[in-house]
Amino acid sequence: MLVFLARRFTFFVLALIASSILIFSLIRIAGGNVAAVMLGKAARPEAIDELMAELGLDRPLPVQYLDWVGGMLRGDLGTSFRTGESVTALLVDRLPVSVPLALGGMALALLVALPIGTYAATKAGSPIGTFVAMASQVGIAVPVFWAGVLLSLFFGVRLGWLPTGGWTPWSTSVSGAVQSLILPVTALGMVMAATLSRYTRTSVLDVMNEDYVRTARASGMTRGGALMRVGLRNASLPLVTVVGLLAAELIGGTVIIEEVFSLPGLARMILSSVSAREVIVVQSAVMVIVAFVMVVNLIVDVLYGVLDPRVRVAR
Amino acid sequence: MSTAADGMITAGELAGRGPDPAGARRGRRRGQVNTGLVVGLVMTVTFLAIAALSLVWTPADPNAVAPADRLLPFGSPGHLIGTDALGRDIASALMIGARTSIVVAAGAALLGLVLGTVAGLTAASARPFVDETVMRGADILLSIPGVVFALVLAATVGAGVGSTVFALSVFFTPSFTRVVRAAALRVLGEDYVAAAQLYGRNRLFILARHVLPNIFSVLIVQFTLYFAVGILTEAGLSYLGVGVNRPDISWGMLLKEAQETVGVASPLAIWPGLAIVFAVLGLNLLGDGLRDVLDPRLRKRAS
Repeated sequence: MLVFLARRFTFFVLALIASSILIFSLIRIAGGNVAAVMLGKAARPEAIDELMAELGLDRPLPVQYLDWVGGMLRGDLGTSFRTGESVTALLVDRLPVSVPLALGGMALALLVALPIGTYAATKAGSPIGTFVAMASQVGIAVPVFWAGVLLSLFFGVRLGWLPTGGWTPWSTSVSGAVQSLILPVTALGMVMAATLSRYTRTSVLDVMNEDYVRTARASGMTRGGALMRVGLRNASLPLVTVVGLLAAELIGGTVIIEEVFSLPGLARMILSSVSAREVIVVQSAVMVIVAFVMVVNLIVDVLYGVLDPRVRVAR
Repeated sequence: MSTAADGMITAGELAGRGPDPAGARRGRRRGQVNTGLVVGLVMTVTFLAIAALSLVWTPADPNAVAPADRLLPFGSPGHLIGTDALGRDIASALMIGARTSIVVAAGAALLGLVLGTVAGLTAASARPFVDETVMRGADILLSIPGVVFALVLAATVGAGVGSTVFALSVFFTPSFTRVVRAAALRVLGEDYVAAAQLYGRNRLFILARHVLPNIFSVLIVQFTLYFAVGILTEAGLSYLGVGVNRPDISWGMLLKEAQETVGVASPLAIWPGLAIVFAVLGLNLLGDGLRDVLDPRLRKRAS
């Protein structure tokens, strides 16, 4: 187990380094000139050069890279060129919107998909099982932003129960903040639930045909009992992987849903920073997101090792 | 969404499960019609036919502004599905949107497929060190959310059809790599490959002559499924304003325009969404159906 953990953790660190180099080079090669954007179209070239030097952007790229990474290791994500605000402060502003949205969406997806997927597997072949399978097939085809538009059309415009968009900060009104999150979380959660319930169904169907389930049935357990006692732990293995892979998906969905409901989250911050060519802000924000996905995957893999002893040996 | 598909394969392999004999028990009897495949095929052919038709004929010029005809309802003479806030014909825009979806999504899926096949075959047949490096590289790329990557790329390089295709294919390649490697490893373990090696065939010959034809069905299925993912992702990017822009037309872009000009309470926001669901559902049904037919070993995953 210890060797497994050490190997997995080494890869995690290497992956973080590799992705930081990737993000840095991508944004720096294609990122545009922040000084030119700040000074406007009419700026003299000398003025732009001066500002670049002032911002430290004239130094060789490896130096700038090490500077950025060194800062991050000390917990300093850099500062915005334009406003001088620290990126950490900018993120802290945005996370109360994005984190509840993403986690809420994931939680809703799991709450809906696991029971429905398991139920559909036990009823496979019956009309209700077929109906659930068809519904999730359609759900997978629905773009997350369209789900958002339809929800706000029905619950916001037609019924007037919930706001169609916009954000009430937690500090102003907790219930207001919750209300502005209900529709976005629902849209995100339901679309992800469609994918997840399909995998749950497949995965449960697989284990129900395994020999150990048959043995459990033969030893006197009921169908449901055998599924609960020996089936679900085995079915959870592939599902854990899927949840890990869905983490990247979740971020993408969050970005789009924030735009649909005009929520001032991480996505809007990245969008506006990209158009202002605020390279450090973009770089650090994207790095935070990637690190988040990698941490989720690390947890997933460790969990995998705990759930399935074979994995520890295999790797 | 379908990035998860290869996760299932890896998970099954990790857990030490081979082809599932029980899956065959659930399988269809010979001669029984696969409804999903037929429905998916019909939907996909319709989608492709509409896109092809838009090359030679559309009801009107979708970029022609006609203020007098603004916001005509569904069923208006000359504008079958009505017009938008600037009087542009919606039916024409939807038809051209189908074409854009195909160019961007199928283009990206094809590019990703080619790159992923090269990388996957290399990983499967090379020394363990190369294999490990390629696969860990794929893992790293998979951790960068595709939408975020495409957003940064499109906003820096410039939005448009070309950069959207590029961004999507970078996002697809690692998934294809994993699927191709897994499939190739299965073939490389077969006796006829060992026989070819003993006969003195080199690696390239074995890959081209034995492995590639045997994983071809996997490639077709993956292409179909990622075509669908591409349509969804392209629509999302265009909705964010970093994908396709006028004079090109995309379904995601139409939805964004609808929301900006007349709010969501309008049939304008319904049509592009329906078009996306239709195309993606058709491709997914087709992909799953093809998997059933072409690769019985994977049938359990299609259920």
